[in-house]
Amino acid sequence: MLTKDYSYTIPGVTEHGFKQQLLRAVRFLMPFLIIGGLWEVSARAGWVHSSSLPAPSAILGSFWQLAWVKGVLWKHFISSLYRLVVGYLLATVAGVTVGALLSLRPTFRLLFEPVLSLLVSVPSIAWVPVLLIILGLDSRTVIAAVFLGAFFAITYNTMRGIETVNKNLVNAARLMGVNRVRLFFSVLLPGSLVSLITGLRLGIGYSWRALVGGEMLAAMVKWGLGTMVFQARFWNDVSMMFVGIIIIGLSGYLLDRTFLRWLEVVTVERWGMLATQK
Amino acid sequence: MDSEISPGSSITIRNLTKVFSGERKNLLALSQVNLDIPSGQITVLIGPSGCGKSTLLNMIGGFERPTEGTIFMDGKQIEKPAPDRGFVFQDYALFPWRTVLGNVMFGLVNTGWKKKEAEEQARRFINLVNLNGFEDAYPHTLSGGMKQRVAIARALAYDPKVLLMDEPFGALDAQTRKFMQQELERILMQTCKTVVFVTHSVIEAVYLADRIVVFTARPGTVKGVVEVDLPRARKYTDDAYLDTRGQVLSLLEEEVEKEIQQDGLEPPQD
Repeated sequence: MLTKDYSYTIPGVTEHGFKQQLLRAVRFLMPFLIIGGLWEVSARAGWVHSSSLPAPSAILGSFWQLAWVKGVLWKHFISSLYRLVVGYLLATVAGVTVGALLSLRPTFRLLFEPVLSLLVSVPSIAWVPVLLIILGLDSRTVIAAVFLGAFFAITYNTMRGIETVNKNLVNAARLMGVNRVRLFFSVLLPGSLVSLITGLRLGIGYSWRALVGGEMLAAMVKWGLGTMVFQARFWNDVSMMFVGIIIIGLSGYLLDRTFLRWLEVVTVERWGMLATQK
Repeated sequence: MDSEISPGSSITIRNLTKVFSGERKNLLALSQVNLDIPSGQITVLIGPSGCGKSTLLNMIGGFERPTEGTIFMDGKQIEKPAPDRGFVFQDYALFPWRTVLGNVMFGLVNTGWKKKEAEEQARRFINLVNLNGFEDAYPHTLSGGMKQRVAIARALAYDPKVLLMDEPFGALDAQTRKFMQQELERILMQTCKTVVFVTHSVIEAVYLADRIVVFTARPGTVKGVVEVDLPRARKYTDDAYLDTRGQVLSLLEEEVEKEIQQDGLEPPQD
């Protein structure tokens, strides 16, 4: 329906009033509530073994215990987050640098590109046993796994992003008197952002998985979401495992939806560079 | 137009040959091109597809190097891109991450202008191309004609001695194209820069040029030169205009047919 200032609205979809936002939130949660409801019913009715698949109510109870009564959930979460941030930031700095170098120096590229594309396909968790031997069984291994998970994806995507910048943009800039440093920061880097953000997005996914896997395998790590899920075996506490799993899933989702989405909106979306906008 | 306007440069091209090395064959794009581009005039390069006119322009811009031969600008050999030239591309080549103002300022800032003066100068050129009010817009929100006007402002802002334009209106619709030809004539009448303009369109060539250079089909070389002495502002329907058009067409048609045959198609029977 056409409003007075000629902006177009679809009732219930495009409006931003409180009622509409509430409706949108409800629509998002609906599938979860339905699944949760069915799950609860099947657990109570005994269709599923409560020892292998506890009811949502039991999981919530476990969550309450871990979060507030015993207060350990927060400590697990923060430990995991710390390892993720350290490993991921290092991977971003290293990855963008190496990716840039590879795209700007054709000889390096010829040497390393095949190796790189191969390494991108190795699941991060496959690195963990090697890291356990080199670095030991503690936190450092996990951080290294997080690093490796993101590094190859970020490097590869940065390299491809810089290579595929429209040649005419580079020519135009060169004509206007830029030196190589300025060319990189004013043209190549912004021009490669779409690909770079894809790399960051992949990287955070791989990192998160590497984190959880690493925490499970590094026996000397005492705090962490992965550790929590793994150690729940010793108490046969499936509820605790599920609390861990849900928190892990939610965190991974939020990491992408908040931080990366913000970066995307503020840069490539504003500049009209996303494929969906062209 | 205020401020000191530097006179345009002249360009001398001697025995220019360009070969593109391919996987299986080498492609001879230009062969022994000898051409003088006089200072302060609009020289239009016209020819059939694939005749190498864009390649020649790229070499004047410094983006490509000749295989043989030389290009001199004011006595100095052209070897790489530099701000003594400006270039307008067919696909606009605007920086999507910079606003209109940011794009036009780019050349100024990189040739040593201080930010404040660069901004003022950029605004003057945005005004020249009639894009007042759009300084803070991002290129992706503009129409094709507007984008090309930004590209022209950007290329002119840092006062290069030579303006190179590679089929700048090729991506525009017919109406906008005609409007842009008139706009460009208006803008160029206010400067005395040397302009080298590549196009397919004879209509466009005769409207804008002081001098038209007709190229042969691939491998490209100079077939003929038509001096255009018509007064400005030109009219598409004047007898003198139509005469000149006829002159250029008679040179060009033969080459276009050759090119069609080269590409394996049949030329029209008439």
